[in-house]
Amino acid sequence: MKILIVDDFSTMRRIIKNLLRDLGFNNTSEADDGNTALPALQSGDFDFLITDWNMPGMQGIDLLKAVRADAKLASLPVLMVTAESKREQIVEAAEAGVNGYVVKPFTAATLKEKIEKIFERVNANA
Amino acid sequence: MSNQTAESTEVDPIFIDKARQLVKHLEDDNEVEANRLLHELSSEYSSNLFSELGKLTREFHDALNSFRHDAQISQLSEDEFVDARDRLNYVITMTQNAADRTLTAVEKSVPLCDQLEERGEMVARKWKRFMARDMSATEFRELAREIGDFLELNHTDATQLKVHLNDVLMAQDYQDLTGQIIRRVIELVQSVEDSLVDLIKISGRDMSEPANDTKKESNTLEGPQIAGKESSTAVTSQDDVDDLLSSLGF
Repeated sequence: MKILIVDDFSTMRRIIKNLLRDLGFNNTSEADDGNTALPALQSGDFDFLITDWNMPGMQGIDLLKAVRADAKLASLPVLMVTAESKREQIVEAAEAGVNGYVVKPFTAATLKEKIEKIFERVNANA
Repeated sequence: MSNQTAESTEVDPIFIDKARQLVKHLEDDNEVEANRLLHELSSEYSSNLFSELGKLTREFHDALNSFRHDAQISQLSEDEFVDARDRLNYVITMTQNAADRTLTAVEKSVPLCDQLEERGEMVARKWKRFMARDMSATEFRELAREIGDFLELNHTDATQLKVHLNDVLMAQDYQDLTGQIIRRVIELVQSVEDSLVDLIKISGRDMSEPANDTKKESNTLEGPQIAGKESSTAVTSQDDVDDLLSSLGF
C-alpha cells in the first residue's frame, strides 16, 4: 500500500505519516501542494491519496478534480484532511468525488476510522 | 447646524432689509444697484460656506498633523508593521520547530519502547519455563545472561526515553513565547483600528449603515474556525461532516 500525503505544512505531513505508520502503512511519500502531487501521482503507483485543501499553488480540491479527470488515476481513493469546515466546501468535495472528509483538528481514531471505511468500500467494489 | 440656519433666517434683519432694497431696485429698473445687492447677498452666503469648509480643512489638517506627531503612529507605519509581519513569521517558525522537535522525540522513543517490549516478552517467556522447571542448565545459563542484558537495556533505554520526554516537555515553551508575540500584534492591530476610527469620525462618514456582505463569496476558504466566531455555514464537528456526507449518499 503506497500512500501520498499532500499538505503545505510539513508538521501536518509528519503527523499523518506517523499516524499511518501506527496503522501499519509504512510506504508513504509527501508533496507540499497539488502542483508537486499530481506529477508524483501520475508517475508513481500510489494506492491512496490524503490531501489538504488550502495550499499555495494548486489547491486540494483542484488536485482532486485533476485526479478524477485523469483516466489512469480516476479510481484512486482520496481522503481530504482539512481545516475547511463550511458545508458548501464539504458538498463541493463530495461532488468532485472525494472518498472521505476529515476536519482538522482530528484524532488518530477519526483518521483510522475514515481510512478503514474507504478501503472497506474500495474492496467491496473491487 | 439646521438649528443655526433656522435661527439666522429668522433673526437676521439685515438680509430682509437688503432683500427689500433689491426688490425696490428691480421695480425701479435700477439694474446696477440690483446687481450690486445680489452680489453682496450671495457673497455673504458663499463666504459662510467657505469658512465652514476652511474650518473642516483645518480640523482635518490638525488631525493629520497630530497623527504625524504622534510617535506611536509614525512608528506604526515605519517599523511596527514590518515588525509585526516578522513577528508573525517568527510564530510560524517557532511553532514549526516545536512540532518538529516533539515529533522527532516521539519518532526516537517508539523504537525504544518496541525494543523493551520485545525483549521483555522474550525474557518473560523463558522465565516462565524456568519457573515451571522446564529448562536445561545450559539454557538457564543463557537465560541468566539474557536477563543481565535486559536489565542493562532497561536502564539505558529508560534513560534515553527520559531524554526524549524531556525534549517534548521543553519543546512546549513555544506556547508562552508565541502567545506573547501574538498578543503584541493584537495590540498593534487594536491601535491601528482606533486610529482608523478617529480618521473616519473626522471625515464625517456615516458608519452606522451596516456594510453589505452579500459580495462576500460563500466559497472563500476560511481555514480553521475560531471559537466564538464560527462561520454560520461551518459544521462544528466531524460528526456533522459525516452526517452531511451520508445525506449526500456517502
